[in-house]
Amino acid sequence: MGDEKRMGLAGTLMVTLVVFAVVLAAFYGLDHLIMSIQGLPLNMDLSPAG
Amino acid sequence: MSNDMSGRISWPAIFSGRLWTLLLVVMLTVAGAQTVAQAASHGMGSADSAEKRIAPVGRVQVEGQPLIEEAAAASAPEAPEPLAAPQPQRKDYPNIGVSSRAVVWIAAQMHLFFGALVLAVPLFVLVIELTGLVTKDERYDDMAHEFMKISLVGFSITAIFGGTLALALFLLYPDFMGYMMRVFGVQWLWYAALFFVESFFLYTYYYGWNALRYGNKKWVHLTLGLMLNAAGMTIMVLANSWATFMMAPSGVSETGVVTGSIWEIMKGPLWNPINLHRFIANIGFGGAVVGAYAAFKFLSTRDPKLRAHYDWMGYTSNFIAILAFLPLPFAGYWLMAEIYAYSQQMGITAMGGILAWLFIVQAVLIGTILLAGNFYLWSGMSRTEGSVRYQWMIKYIAVILVICFLTWMTPHTLILSAREISVLGGSHHHILGPLGIMPAKNIAVNLMLIVTFLSFQLYRRSDKVAVVPWASAANACMVAIYLVAIANIIFVGVYYGYFTNTVYKVGSSVIQVASTLVVIISGLVIDGFLYKGAKRLPSHWGQVSDRSQYALFALPIAFTWLMGLMGYVRSSVKTHWHVYTVMKDNSPDNFIPTIGYAGNMITLVTILFLLFVLFMFWIANLSSTRQTRPTTAEGGAVA
Amino acid sequence: MNVLAKSMIFSVGLTLVFTLVANLLPQVEGEAPVEEEVDLGSLTMDDFVTLGESLFMGKGTCTLCHKPAPLGRAPDIQGDNMVEVAKERLVDPRYQGKATSPEAYIRESMVDPSAYVVAGWGKKGSNDSESPMPHVDKPPTALSGLEMDAIIAWLEAKDGNEITVALPTMEASAEVAVVAPAGGGLPAPAATPEEAVTKYGCQACHTLLGSSASLGPALDDVGDRLEPEQIRQSIIAPDAVITEGYTSGVMPQDFAGKMTVQELEMIVKLLAEQKQ
Repeated sequence: MGDEKRMGLAGTLMVTLVVFAVVLAAFYGLDHLIMSIQGLPLNMDLSPAG
Repeated sequence: MSNDMSGRISWPAIFSGRLWTLLLVVMLTVAGAQTVAQAASHGMGSADSAEKRIAPVGRVQVEGQPLIEEAAAASAPEAPEPLAAPQPQRKDYPNIGVSSRAVVWIAAQMHLFFGALVLAVPLFVLVIELTGLVTKDERYDDMAHEFMKISLVGFSITAIFGGTLALALFLLYPDFMGYMMRVFGVQWLWYAALFFVESFFLYTYYYGWNALRYGNKKWVHLTLGLMLNAAGMTIMVLANSWATFMMAPSGVSETGVVTGSIWEIMKGPLWNPINLHRFIANIGFGGAVVGAYAAFKFLSTRDPKLRAHYDWMGYTSNFIAILAFLPLPFAGYWLMAEIYAYSQQMGITAMGGILAWLFIVQAVLIGTILLAGNFYLWSGMSRTEGSVRYQWMIKYIAVILVICFLTWMTPHTLILSAREISVLGGSHHHILGPLGIMPAKNIAVNLMLIVTFLSFQLYRRSDKVAVVPWASAANACMVAIYLVAIANIIFVGVYYGYFTNTVYKVGSSVIQVASTLVVIISGLVIDGFLYKGAKRLPSHWGQVSDRSQYALFALPIAFTWLMGLMGYVRSSVKTHWHVYTVMKDNSPDNFIPTIGYAGNMITLVTILFLLFVLFMFWIANLSSTRQTRPTTAEGGAVA
Repeated sequence: MNVLAKSMIFSVGLTLVFTLVANLLPQVEGEAPVEEEVDLGSLTMDDFVTLGESLFMGKGTCTLCHKPAPLGRAPDIQGDNMVEVAKERLVDPRYQGKATSPEAYIRESMVDPSAYVVAGWGKKGSNDSESPMPHVDKPPTALSGLEMDAIIAWLEAKDGNEITVALPTMEASAEVAVVAPAGGGLPAPAATPEEAVTKYGCQACHTLLGSSASLGPALDDVGDRLEPEQIRQSIIAPDAVITEGYTSGVMPQDFAGKMTVQELEMIVKLLAEQKQ
């Protein structure tokens, strides 16, 4: 949904990948945060801790 | 872009901008409320602290030490006032030949429909008026005035049904009302007084509209509107406290003896969740009803100018309705969580007991609302030429909506009785079982909300072209947020919902809600910056299909029916109690009626409401109708 | 066709669709619990067990939570052999309750659910120290001792265990009368002190005879604190002297008018003997 005229294909791909990684990390953190607020900690692989 | 472009900012965009901010505030409020609800449920562990606090007391205070004979003599003759809640028997309930509950049901529901309408309309009218003031665009002011005009008679109708309801309650449930009067005492006077206050501000606000139109006087007018809303809101929360007291009494002992102050009685565990839920729902309901008015006027005229006006009015109404509707499930979630925290028994009666089938009907209604809202947005894209860029996505949105809708409708597995289990051949349906339980429904509901927001976002984008250099990065970010949020909702729902324990299942639904909120909030923020000073494509109000207007009729009908249905469940979770655990309902109607009976009742009140709303609109148009003076020629012809 | 007619047909049609959906669903009525009159004279153990089952499924509202595994919000009582389960609980080091037999354990679970919380079923955040289950002897469930006995009898019988609960005797009739005040007429005077206490529901608010209610002051040590005269006064005129930490106006004022002289004396005597 954008106009990618200003950047080359490689640049666009790069930006897309970086943005995707950042968003993924943010949601991963969000999952940990929300569950720990509720006293339900998670392991690194998001399985219930303990 | 050219200078004259940036100078001329079109009005719907600005208007929407203000409302987006409002949406943000509402969303954040709900998010905050969520946190509070979570915190509260953590505090649940301290429920026994009260017991500890007043654990065995060793010391006894003896004042005066009167002789026992004296004490007995002193207390025996003066018959003590009946302090506990009365426990009327069946013969104590007046019998009028028809079901008392049905009579009260109809009166209460009509009062509630109109009450909700006249509380909501001044609220968004005030916001629209303020928008008009800020943008200096008189069309807002005129539309706000028109909204007020068409709902004005609603205030009288509300009062009439309120009086009818009170009369019916006092006649048909005298013991119960006597007890409520005793518990709430002086609060009733405040309630009555507030009606006078509200009427004062209502009439000054409406009739002073043109007299207080410009300059400082406009601020006086806005203040009147604010006071009108303040009075209305106070009336609503007072009335809510009666309903929540009946569901979860506070400030009284186990036998119903008043032990707390009026504030403790009002501030029960369900009061604020109901307040928030009704507040938001009222706005959506009000928006939907005035939207139907606009649609009706749109269809009734061929004049392009009027069609443009009513198209815009209908769009605005739909905008308000959907905007209020999106956070509603979260408010409902909080209410349900508080009900469970108050009494697990009550929560299960609502969600897993005989009332559980009702949520299938609820799914049909909410599905209707979302489909109608989305359909209206898609139709609205025809107003602008820039929408072709996004048309291809509509079919995917539609497919996701329908799949989620069907998942949501899949019957919940229930246990009603041993007999029913044997009929079903087990408590689970073999194939539908996994789709029928909560995690699947949570996924479906959140995805429906997300794609509805996507429709919204696409509609808003359809008449703009971003000019900022980082547009493609922002778009990549938006796409990533949508995809990751959807993946997260599905992953969390499936993993915690089916493969871990119950505690994690419940806890993970908060993640799903948060993911949805992240999409909505980041969508608003990103688009807010992305389209600052964007190039605008021409759009044409009034250029929309007649068929799309029927979505604006579907919305209020589904809203009205939904309110009726939720009223049925809210009242039914009390089971056979007038005031839960305190005052038993021994009337002939103390059972929970079947969903079919309730459906017929709800249809009856919905159609009644429809007729009264038609009357209200008719009255509003009557004032601007002027009979042409009969000419002598005509007079002669008659003679 | 004009716009009004079209829009009305559309609106009413949509309403009827919703009505149709509501009517297509299974139609279940939520009956209010009916106070069952139990004829104690001709009651057999089979009747008693049947009564227990119907109470479990109906008035007790037990099945709201106690369901088979994927749906339940509490242990699956119907699926488990409760006598065997209770025996395991009694030897569990986590068990802190007072029961020594399966029967007593089940009864304790009903009137004091937090005495032992099955791992994983505690209130959220309480680390299984507190049960979300309501006390079944209190409103809104409010089962009588007799009704709880019937449920225990059924729980024992359904898995082929020996029924240890005794059939209710004629003396329990007062208890039934308290459960079903709708019957009209005065309940029979109580014959024993315990019966009198139960008849007037003292344990509903006070710690007494095994209850652990805390709405009113604890009475299981009242003999240490008060003279018989003071106890009598507290029953006849509850607000004359208020124990520190409690409010006046909570305890019913009309016991003097309801109790027979003999009942009052029995209760006073019983309370005076409550020493720790």
